[in-house]
Amino acid sequence: MNETSIVVSGLRKRFGPTLALDGMSFTVGPGQVTGFAGPNGAGKSTTMRIVLGLDAPDEGSALVGGRPYRSLPCPLRVVGSLLDAGALQPGRTARNHLLWLAHSQGLTAARVDQVLEQAGLTGVARRRAGGFSLGMRQRLGIAAAMLGDPPVLMLDEPFNGMDPEGIVWIRGFLRALAAEGRAVLLSTHLMSELQDTADHVVLVGRGRVLADRTMPELLARHGSLERAYLELTRDAVEFRAAGSPEASR
Amino acid sequence: MRAALHAEWTKLRTVRGWVVALAVAAVAVVGLGLLAGGQGSCGRNGPQSECVLPVGPGGQEVTDSFTFVHRSLTGDGSITVRLNGLTGVLPRKPGPGGPADSTGPQVAEGDPGDGEPGLAPWAKGGLIVKDGTRPGSTYAAIMLTGAHGVRMQHDYVHDRAGPPVPATTARWLRLTRAGQTITGQESPDGTAWTTVGTVRLPGLPATAQVGAFATSPQYTWVAGGGRGVGGVTGGPSQATATFDSLGLQGTAPDPAWMRTLVGGGAPGQPEEVGAGFRVAGSGDIAPAVAGISGIGTTISQTLIGTFAGLILVVVVATMTMTAEYRRGMIRTTVAAVPRRGRVLLAKAVVLGGTAFGLGVPAAAVVIFVGQRMLRDRGVYVHPASTATEVRLVVGTGLLLAGAAVLALALGTVLRRGFTAVVAGIVVVVLPYLLAMSVLPAEPAQWLLRVTPAAAFALQQSAVSHPQVDHFPIPVNGYFPLSPWAGLAVLAGWTALTLGLAVLSLRRRDV
Amino acid sequence: MRRALHAEWTKLRTTPGTGLLLLTVVAATVGIGVLASAVTDCRAGGCTVDLAKVSLTGVQLGQAVVAVLAVQVIGAEYSTGMIHLSLTAVPRRLTVLAAKALVLTAVVTTAAAAGVAGSLLAADRLLPLAVTDAAVLRAAAGSVLYLVLVGLLALGVTTAVRNPGAAAGLVLGLLYLFPLIGLATTDPDFRRHLDQIGPMAAGLAVQATTGLDSVAVSPWRGLAVLGAWAAAALLAGGLLIRLRDA
Repeated sequence: MNETSIVVSGLRKRFGPTLALDGMSFTVGPGQVTGFAGPNGAGKSTTMRIVLGLDAPDEGSALVGGRPYRSLPCPLRVVGSLLDAGALQPGRTARNHLLWLAHSQGLTAARVDQVLEQAGLTGVARRRAGGFSLGMRQRLGIAAAMLGDPPVLMLDEPFNGMDPEGIVWIRGFLRALAAEGRAVLLSTHLMSELQDTADHVVLVGRGRVLADRTMPELLARHGSLERAYLELTRDAVEFRAAGSPEASR
Repeated sequence: MRAALHAEWTKLRTVRGWVVALAVAAVAVVGLGLLAGGQGSCGRNGPQSECVLPVGPGGQEVTDSFTFVHRSLTGDGSITVRLNGLTGVLPRKPGPGGPADSTGPQVAEGDPGDGEPGLAPWAKGGLIVKDGTRPGSTYAAIMLTGAHGVRMQHDYVHDRAGPPVPATTARWLRLTRAGQTITGQESPDGTAWTTVGTVRLPGLPATAQVGAFATSPQYTWVAGGGRGVGGVTGGPSQATATFDSLGLQGTAPDPAWMRTLVGGGAPGQPEEVGAGFRVAGSGDIAPAVAGISGIGTTISQTLIGTFAGLILVVVVATMTMTAEYRRGMIRTTVAAVPRRGRVLLAKAVVLGGTAFGLGVPAAAVVIFVGQRMLRDRGVYVHPASTATEVRLVVGTGLLLAGAAVLALALGTVLRRGFTAVVAGIVVVVLPYLLAMSVLPAEPAQWLLRVTPAAAFALQQSAVSHPQVDHFPIPVNGYFPLSPWAGLAVLAGWTALTLGLAVLSLRRRDV
Repeated sequence: MRRALHAEWTKLRTTPGTGLLLLTVVAATVGIGVLASAVTDCRAGGCTVDLAKVSLTGVQLGQAVVAVLAVQVIGAEYSTGMIHLSLTAVPRRLTVLAAKALVLTAVVTTAAAAGVAGSLLAADRLLPLAVTDAAVLRAAAGSVLYLVLVGLLALGVTTAVRNPGAAAGLVLGLLYLFPLIGLATTDPDFRRHLDQIGPMAAGLAVQATTGLDSVAVSPWRGLAVLGAWAAAALLAGGLLIRLRDA
């Protein structure tokens, strides 16, 4: 595998009595947007945390550009990620938030101003990030992910809290990144957005991959991504509201 | 309000970490109280080593040691003497470079003979009538003191002032017995007599010992600007009273005068009382006090675990508020109970009640069990009245409750958990620690008057007596405020901070 | 490491309140020190107390502020979840902790030196104290080190327990409980022992300039005891941050 990729193989992870990952394996290739979807508790976040070296797997490995994340000297120049847009200290300004991140990768303030511009945050760069709406925090998170101009991007629910204009922006932005040859992993519950954005979909449930297909394949077989999702994850849903059509089945 | 209380109680008891922390707080109060006492030597080294203080007629512990030149007197009678002033020896004054700044009060070894001339303020010399020479027996005495003039004292705790003459003056003194009534008189010249006091000694038998006495209490130097523990040194002092013209009227069965060291354990020796004689003594006839001139420990010290409990309670109380801010749960909370002041009050009631509810039983165990364990380990513990014990137990609960509510309010105002935790601990614990360890007495007392640490007065068990020089300063277990005034200071700070918290919660967007 | 240091420095200087906290360290140290010096009256009966120690009393309050600063350095990241971002940017976790420790050391040293120097300058006017005396200078330098070590202790503890509120309680408990228990104990040997092992009592032994033959622990050895506490806390924090899932 070349350096523009995420390779996850045979991940297993147990949290107490819960088996979160049960042999998770998939590959995120360059030049396309790979959708990452599955019910709550399917193991999406855990997988991404393991890819980023935040959690250690009990078994298996996750490689970014052929190397474990923790061995990357300047990781943000290899993978940009957005896990939790709220994870910032509210008292710091948006620009300063990006500045310490830039310094950690040996980047300069000039690069910070570039990504602020890219994310459309230049006007609010010197405002406290704590006062940002969720959508603005998402933009700030995406700016942070872009900071190292990385060949691989991994975004968890970037559409959350975005206004329609922002959703359109992210969609075009991700498509453009893929067109530049980057590998993009996009985790979301919004099937319509995913259908419009992704070229490839990894569908997971109960800690393992349920389907790993191209978008045209899925659409050809199930008609729409939402239908594909519901049919493929039918037996892998852990939490379901009483009275939902699937529960009474 | 009931619903808000119920909600807050459910919030508190459903976070496992908080429940564990509060349980640990109770365990810490008990555990440290039972473990930290150390070992004592009372009763460990044979029959003479029991630490027993004489008990006075009122049931209280007393100090009763003095030099007594006495004779028995049956029935009514009187004794008159001229006292030609007091002289004395004080323990050596610590000089620069001497023993300074160690961790505990230092009491000089050795007898006061190697000290320097001087009189302790409560050095005493005069006449006494007493039920035998057993320490703790009923007595009445008229005396000249080092710095407090002529006094009439009886049964250890009672004290009446006569003329404030200096200790160097010659003064005539007289004690007259009529049944159970003793009258003390004094005169500058032996002819014009003034009655200082008339007291009843119901326990005085028909034959009592009467005579001249002298004694002088433990003396304490407070050096270098009156520092608390560090600069306080002291030791025994001695007073010498010079008498003449001793006259006894009444039935005296014994032919001779005896000289006895009351409280000294040795039998008395016959004494020739001529025209003039001297009596030199060291000790005191007074209620026993804790502190530098006392022995052993007080039950207050078994409550040391309060500090550990306090820190934990402060942490939990702070977090109940800051945890809501951290993840934005405060929005859900104020959506459920839109009257924000009510939210805070409900939290305060729940936390205060919980802290009180765990502090009281924990303190009760320490006071009642810990006291016994300390005694079993040979540590002398000053007994305290049941009322004092109950006040200590309830006071510990109130202290924890007040600190919890103060911390909650600080958490609301400051919003950041660790800042509020540190602020809460620093305002309550640090003044106490500084007052007890490094600060001079005056700033220490000032701190314990104005800071929330004033509430530690609730845990004071030492009793203060004006007729005993015992340095009623914080290191010796004496707080500048009364227990309830101390509590009021804490309550005041808590109410003030809570008010600020309500204001900021109302004004600020959540 | 250089990049991690640069990042931590940027983080610290852009955290609102850092400057205020550092000023508070200085103000608390000097303020309490001046008060203690002012109330110590050496005219009546001479001074038998350790004047250097009196003038540096403010360190006892200053350390609480240093603890707040140190807890904040990593605790605020845990409470906001930003630690994930920090560990994503610098996946070598010990490097992150070491960078934080170094940056903290630098700022605490500066503030502590200012506070201690201010206290001594005030004492020079208020007390008959020879501030250029070797022992006094040792007490002063030791006090600066003391504050730095308290900061590192707090950093280690916070890294280990992750909850800043609990960490703050634990640090102040470690500092204050030993001397408090010492006050309550009736056993002088036990008290001496507490003074020898407690991080605060042993560490503050470095302030002693008189009666050195009767102290529970000698100045530098006492500071080393605090150093051992700080090292143990950092070690525990380092091990846990390395082994645990973030």
